[in-house]
Amino acid sequence: MSANRSLLVLFGSQSGNAEDLASKVGKAASKYGLEATVKGMDEIKITDLAGQKRIMICCSTWGEGEQPDNAEDLWISANAEDSPSMEGVNFSVLALGDTSYELFCESGKEWDSWLESKGGFRVYQRVDCDVDYEAPAKEWMDETLARMGAVDDSGTYQESLVEEIKNQASGSASTTVSSESNGSDSSIEISTDGDRSMTILFGSQSGNAEGLAAKFAKQAKSYGLDAEVADMDGFDLSSLSSKKRVLIICSTWGEGEQPDNAEELWQKAVAASPGLLNGVHYSVLALGDTSYELFCESGKEWDKRFEELGATRLVDRVDCDVDYDKISQVWAEDALASMAAVDGEGLFHEEMVQAIKDSMISDSTGASGEDGFTVPIIKSEAIRAEISIFRYDPSTSSTGRDTWICALPGHMSILDVLRTLKNTQDGSLTFRDGSLDDPTTAITINGRHVLPGNMRLDSVAPIRDGGISIKIEPLSGFEVIRDLVVDHWSLETKREASKPWMASATRKGLSTPQGAIGSMSPLVASELHSITDIHSYPILHSSSDATAHSDEYLGPAIISHAWARRNDPRISSQKKKEIEILLDSPNGIKAETDLSTIRRQGKGTKIHDSLLDCKTSSLARTGYNGRHGKHVWWYAVTVKSSGKVNDTVLYRQVLGPIGLLGNLFSGVTSRMVLGFTRTGGNMINDILAFVAPPAGLGKMPRQFNSSINNHHEVVAIFNELDGRF
Amino acid sequence: MALEYAYHPGNVAHSGSPEVAESMIPLAKSLGIKLTYLEGATSCGAGIIRQANEKLQLTLNARIFAQAESLGLEIMTPCASTAGNLSEDLFRLKSDPILLAEINDVLMKTCGMEFNGETSVNHLLHVIVDEIGLDKLKSMVVNPIDFRVASYYGPNMQQDGFCGEDDVYDPEYMEMLMKTLGGKNVDWESRMQSVGAPSILTEESTVLKLSASVLNDAKSEGAQLIVSACNLSHSVMDIYQGKASQRTGLNVNIPVVHLCEILTFALGHYNTRFAQLRTRVMVIGD
Repeated sequence: MSANRSLLVLFGSQSGNAEDLASKVGKAASKYGLEATVKGMDEIKITDLAGQKRIMICCSTWGEGEQPDNAEDLWISANAEDSPSMEGVNFSVLALGDTSYELFCESGKEWDSWLESKGGFRVYQRVDCDVDYEAPAKEWMDETLARMGAVDDSGTYQESLVEEIKNQASGSASTTVSSESNGSDSSIEISTDGDRSMTILFGSQSGNAEGLAAKFAKQAKSYGLDAEVADMDGFDLSSLSSKKRVLIICSTWGEGEQPDNAEELWQKAVAASPGLLNGVHYSVLALGDTSYELFCESGKEWDKRFEELGATRLVDRVDCDVDYDKISQVWAEDALASMAAVDGEGLFHEEMVQAIKDSMISDSTGASGEDGFTVPIIKSEAIRAEISIFRYDPSTSSTGRDTWICALPGHMSILDVLRTLKNTQDGSLTFRDGSLDDPTTAITINGRHVLPGNMRLDSVAPIRDGGISIKIEPLSGFEVIRDLVVDHWSLETKREASKPWMASATRKGLSTPQGAIGSMSPLVASELHSITDIHSYPILHSSSDATAHSDEYLGPAIISHAWARRNDPRISSQKKKEIEILLDSPNGIKAETDLSTIRRQGKGTKIHDSLLDCKTSSLARTGYNGRHGKHVWWYAVTVKSSGKVNDTVLYRQVLGPIGLLGNLFSGVTSRMVLGFTRTGGNMINDILAFVAPPAGLGKMPRQFNSSINNHHEVVAIFNELDGRF
Repeated sequence: MALEYAYHPGNVAHSGSPEVAESMIPLAKSLGIKLTYLEGATSCGAGIIRQANEKLQLTLNARIFAQAESLGLEIMTPCASTAGNLSEDLFRLKSDPILLAEINDVLMKTCGMEFNGETSVNHLLHVIVDEIGLDKLKSMVVNPIDFRVASYYGPNMQQDGFCGEDDVYDPEYMEMLMKTLGGKNVDWESRMQSVGAPSILTEESTVLKLSASVLNDAKSEGAQLIVSACNLSHSVMDIYQGKASQRTGLNVNIPVVHLCEILTFALGHYNTRFAQLRTRVMVIGD
């Protein structure tokens, strides 16, 4: 689409209504052949308005006829003496207000008058909306967009084209946007792409919660969700850590007690570590009886505990009295729509929720399918995508990039994007194809490691200027075979060398009616599960920047697995010793140069934390010897001694005299003294420069630090928590 | 109204990167930021103290948070590593009330302090873009930075919740800022890659390869200058350039300056130093 078809949609918004409307205008504009940019009035300067050919303004009024906060500065600029002419600008204004105020829609009126006074051309009359603004706003949007579409590339309004454009737009809408036909302006349907699983946990005493769970599981199908109903009794709490969507329906028993089938799981939840449920989206329906003192107490407890464990509440808990049918159904509609708006990668798209609800209302008479429910598909509009893909041809050893600029549906998975490009553009494009969650399909997009089947195009990178720009690379840390296909053999070789198998200790089993079986504390099992909850070993391996630059380093995938084995209480002492030797080796955990690179990748936080524990354990086992041990030890010692790190002491203690000499001859020291100062700065920083150079010269660190204020507090903290330093 | 922050200059601003601490002073003045120095603040731990004892680093940083909280201020630092490390610990404390209570027990016993979760950590970059605004910054530019610039973020602050309104994986704040200062951005891939700064003394071979790959990438894409948002990475990329080149055989000679420096130059401070940098960029090259 050419730049001459641009449309600027501005919003001045206080409560968010004008912003929502502007966003809808922006989305609908493409049907009218327009390329919209939606901006808040605080994101633009008044001079930027001049030169625009098409401007649509959605503006609310605040208080007694005042501009909303985000419009105030722009309005002041507009009324400055030197504000620019708006000649050549085609505009229309939607004014939001409230007739109960004296100055109704005053801000919108002001903008409308101002644009006209500055020479702009009003293509469609201003529409003033009261609090029920949806219908008039929709009409204004449709009429104005058709007229904006009729503004030709030179900026001249062609009224004769308006009807034709309206017809084209309605034709386009009926074929691509199913929910439009119902008067809803949603451009979103519900998706069955990617992971759509949802767990409905019930804690039930009389069977009501269980009945509701079964009912809502059935309804979930029409939201494109694959619901599994689970009894809290015997449920493995740690398995929730890999879930994206969880609904809890729980009754309360007696005086605020958990129902019998929930008691054991509740105890596990109480004992679980914070962060266990990171990435889980949830909502709670609590059943109770107001005639009891502690109403819906169990549901309240679950709601609070899930939040404490790191889960994200999508819909507020609803507490039901004995007459729960209607209120529980209202909760279910909210909760299911919100869960449906969680995509396959676990990202919640709040903006989709209302559209999904609208879609469900419009689909209510169109039940179909074997189960009597429609299974719609979440779709979003086509977006402009600039896709740059790394290419490598082994036959010529040549590398480069191919870039395609195309319009693709935002809901399309990256795997489907690659398939489409291969099928329609370049049959030689090579990537690993597979199921949605096939770990070997992993690639890197804009520095983010993903499984392409689970990642939507419109979620993989921010949408900027109405489009998305992505760079697709093979995973780092592996040899490339061709294009995006990497050779995982190096990882498998390291895995084999690490001898990852379990060698159990002989231990006494627990006698059960089924026979003697080994047992493990649920807490330990949960912790081990969280360490090894790795979706893709290639992704974890690649998440460390060090793996690409150190052939010997085992990498975080192998190490985290070995660390979990080492902490498994079933392991034999000999195997534990073997693993500790592996972890303590030069290619073990100490070879990781920067744990923060692992933390930033997706669900890396838990793995990062466990690798940190692994390193702490390794340092302690090896007595803080060697460079790694000395580095950590002396860092802590220098901080204790002054509050600041002392680089000079660190260099001396860690590198030793030979290492320091190495720096002297390799130019490191001279760059600090001289080269590093070429942008200026003082050559002499300290009196030591005269007494004991090179300390104090250029950017050589001082030998002695001054202490921070209240340094004794730091010493007291060290003494309290770690007397070793 | 002037912005005011509790100022943490970063872990090595007092030693290996004095130019950052030095340039921050006139920069803050020009930007209208009041810096309230946290004179009692310790090192952020650089992710190293926690390798020995995680609770120790958390407590030391909780003490910094408590100091800022008592001033009623948010924390600002020009160092991406410090911003990342402090943010990581702040996130842990805010998301785990039981842990916070334990840490507060120690803080109260040793320092008579308590932290209630009422502060936040900001990098200078996010303060400028999100709070001050690039339009305002543009109006202050005296010396346009008319170089081809490779902006380096590093991995520490490019984490979920740590980088203001910018995107974690596809950030644009530094590029927007450099464009505002008059620079031309180069498109390069290593802008968030680690240069292994925490391990420069212990895993030198890997770190030199990491650094060389970042420097070489910027140079290959046509950059004349790297601007780093991280004090530590800035130091490693600059002072280890020669050694990295010797180890890898890659061409890595390129000037590396800190974000604070380039901002001060653009806003009209240290004109002689800027002229020296211009000479390095245009004539000497490294």
